[in-house]
Amino acid sequence: MVKKGLEWAKSLYQDRAQRAKELRNHGKKVMGYICCYPPTELITASGMVPYRITGTLEPITEADAYLETLMCPYVRACLDLGVKGRYDFVDGIIWPHTCDNIQKTYDIWKHYVPHSYYHYLDVPHMSDPSSFEFFAKGLDVLKESLEEFSGVKITDERLTEAIGLHNQNRALLRELTYLRKPDPPLISGAEMTQVVLAAMSIPVEEANHMLRETIAEVKERKDGLKQGLRLLVYGSEIDDIAFIKLMEDCGANVVIDDLCIGTRHYWKDVSADGDPLVSLANRYLGDIMCPRTFRRSPGSRQQDLDNRFGYIRDFAQEFDVQGAILYIIRYCDTFEFDAPEVKDYLQEAGIPVLHLEDDYSLTSIGGFKTRIQAFLEMLE
Amino acid sequence: MAFFAGIDVGSVTTKAVIVADGELGVYHVAPSGANYRLAAQKVMEEALAKAGLALDDLAYIVATGYGAANADFAAQQVTDISCCARGVNRLFPQVRTVIEIGGQASRIIRVNAEGRATNFVVSERCAAGSGRFLQVIARVLQIDLEDVGPLSLKAKNPVTYTTGCAVFGESEAISRVAEGTPKEDILAGVHNALAAKISNLLERVGLEEECAITGGGALDVGLIMRVEQRLGVHLLVPPQPQITAALGAALLAEERSPISPA
Repeated sequence: MVKKGLEWAKSLYQDRAQRAKELRNHGKKVMGYICCYPPTELITASGMVPYRITGTLEPITEADAYLETLMCPYVRACLDLGVKGRYDFVDGIIWPHTCDNIQKTYDIWKHYVPHSYYHYLDVPHMSDPSSFEFFAKGLDVLKESLEEFSGVKITDERLTEAIGLHNQNRALLRELTYLRKPDPPLISGAEMTQVVLAAMSIPVEEANHMLRETIAEVKERKDGLKQGLRLLVYGSEIDDIAFIKLMEDCGANVVIDDLCIGTRHYWKDVSADGDPLVSLANRYLGDIMCPRTFRRSPGSRQQDLDNRFGYIRDFAQEFDVQGAILYIIRYCDTFEFDAPEVKDYLQEAGIPVLHLEDDYSLTSIGGFKTRIQAFLEMLE
Repeated sequence: MAFFAGIDVGSVTTKAVIVADGELGVYHVAPSGANYRLAAQKVMEEALAKAGLALDDLAYIVATGYGAANADFAAQQVTDISCCARGVNRLFPQVRTVIEIGGQASRIIRVNAEGRATNFVVSERCAAGSGRFLQVIARVLQIDLEDVGPLSLKAKNPVTYTTGCAVFGESEAISRVAEGTPKEDILAGVHNALAAKISNLLERVGLEEECAITGGGALDVGLIMRVEQRLGVHLLVPPQPQITAALGAALLAEERSPISPA
């Protein structure tokens, strides 16, 4: 029987590569990418399947031979899968210059993980007008390189069509997210993470189909979730449901997030007007709210903070949360630097915050449980 | 008269407290060992024996601590943070900040007038901020944990620890032993390192007086002295600092019990 909606998402979450491998056997090329920054529209427009590279919570057994253990545990987990051959079905990879750990791992990946194609995408760390111009030119280089590898000419028409499909994808993910607004929410945080990951593992047209089925299914739910304290989760690459499930098992509902495998990936659309490469540059460099990008704020300190973190406060208010959990992966300097300011900012807005730091593998889950429970007891 | 109990299954010791009419009746403390389920049972039995009661005489039991789930005879589990706040509030109603030095981790808990935690921070997984660090160093120096505090007060030149890590701290202590540094100076150095860790944790949630210190770490007079020195505040110490969370659990048991005290 063909799986549909949430069941299909769950199945893809458990075996992410199943559909991509199948398509590859039918002659399709699969293009891997890591992080939020490579524009998937260019991959789709070249007739290839975009496939998000992630890690897993399984113990890191081989990557430690190539990367020091004090590097980002998420990147180590990704590399571990790479050197174990789990990404051998991926034809090529686009690697963005985003944070230090991802940036430096490119060479190691290229040396030890065999693909037919590698592209290193320069993403400026600034967001000034010249940065956008620079990034758009870089995307043009990526476009030409993808054309050469795929043998498909990425015309403006094809690219505009791909932008339309990915905008639809994001709109559907947002629609599903809004079903977390009621109390109790219609879809749990753990289910949402499964759906987002599933959508990152199959062609965009198929993902959109799955999302439409999921939305219809979730809207029909009668015996959904229990009421509980409503939480926001802030962090980076949470690509496993274990942590979100832990909070939900403690009786809370995670109703909104600011995560890479979450709203950071789908909250903002690409403009359908004008030069498509410029639109992509504007969206990917300007609208992904990751602390790896420096945002120049000419005003007061308060304006600077509003500019950088106002959207998190807005999320918290719009989704009516009672508390926020900052989940920072250990050695993630990029997020660690911002965490104290995010914490103060949200607390000043009247949102209680619990700041947790972990090595991504969730080995000390018992200790976390106590802290989350204590936080919930405090909020009650 | 109705009796209520709290049991705190900690990573190093297990504590049971029995209260009647909101007053501390008896308590018992024993090492948790490697079988928390057994420890929880035995400590509860010992406490009951001291009180001349049977398990059935207890109207309600709340379990807390790292191994709370092992106390399967308890009706409810509450986190050690909430229990500690409640326990301190009974002992010192004026306290607004608690420094809890446990075996596995240290915690700073802000408490309101009602005995509820309003904010908290827990030292990260690293053992350097916890009582475990003292155990490690005591083992290196081959002295009993009870002697650490009094001996450290004799220090003339406390050593400076350059690391915040318990594992490196151990090898650092061994290097000092090799150099012939007196034990008391090594211990005072460890206390200073712990005091610095605690002070950093406090920065995160803020210090509001009055301030109490609880947990097994509060049995160490040397540590208390160094923390007071570092923070510049006087610390209130309960007569039995280890049982604070268990006492809080027992008081919560009394509050939450469906059977109201007679």
